[in-house]
Amino acid sequence: MNLLQILSDTSKISNVTLDRNSLVSAFWKYAAISELLIISFFVILYFKTREKKLTSIEAQLKNSKNNKVNMDDLMLSINNSRNLYKLLSKNCHPDRFINSTSHSEVELLFQKITENKRNFQELVKLKEIAINQFNIKIE
Amino acid sequence: MWHKIIEIVDWFGEMTERYKLIRDFNKAGKNAFISGIAPTLLEAKITNGDSNYRHQFSKFLGGGFRIKALSGRPLKKEEMIEIGKIILDNKELVRKLVALGWDTMEVHDNSGFNGCKWPLKDYANIGGYLN
Repeated sequence: MNLLQILSDTSKISNVTLDRNSLVSAFWKYAAISELLIISFFVILYFKTREKKLTSIEAQLKNSKNNKVNMDDLMLSINNSRNLYKLLSKNCHPDRFINSTSHSEVELLFQKITENKRNFQELVKLKEIAINQFNIKIE
Repeated sequence: MWHKIIEIVDWFGEMTERYKLIRDFNKAGKNAFISGIAPTLLEAKITNGDSNYRHQFSKFLGGGFRIKALSGRPLKKEEMIEIGKIILDNKELVRKLVALGWDTMEVHDNSGFNGCKWPLKDYANIGGYLN
């Protein structure tokens, strides 16, 4: 009788310990989940503040990393723009068109030539404009 | 940790972009020299740069963008200044150079120590100041 009673008591105790173990494991599970949530919240917060910290200048510079620069045009500018500018500035000078009706337009053209004096591609376009619109002979 | 990983990836990306730019410039310079457009062969290389011209994006020990006249005839001072000004007039290129960590633009002759240099941050025109 006593033995049976003891056995029944031990089974009760084991049930109680099982319940306690499951409670403890559940607690740690929820603790881990909440920890993960807190960490992810701080990670998101960190990246958002980092984005805000990027000033407009930095953003501009970051975008300019992807700029495509044509190196062949650059080489043409380095080697040919000076001569072409001299030629155009001599032939399209507004003083040569003082009594002409297109004096003001040639003046604008000359301003553009001066602005783009180191850009070969633009100078070629302006040369074409000078030849086609104003009938200037470029020699 | 993620931030560090992103920084490392960015760093490698920038390095490849830097070397790509140098390679493109040298290729274009070589083609221009071979085809007879250019009287001198121009070569770009990375140097230390000037510490006085540093800004917040400057690369450590790699802030100088040097253009060197390799062969043909030696460059005059006016020609060196002209080459430098043509590059500095190209806004897109200057911004790209600044963004990729260069701070000094140098033009050098093949022989001697004479050359010209410019601070790139003064020519970036990005509507603000770089430290």
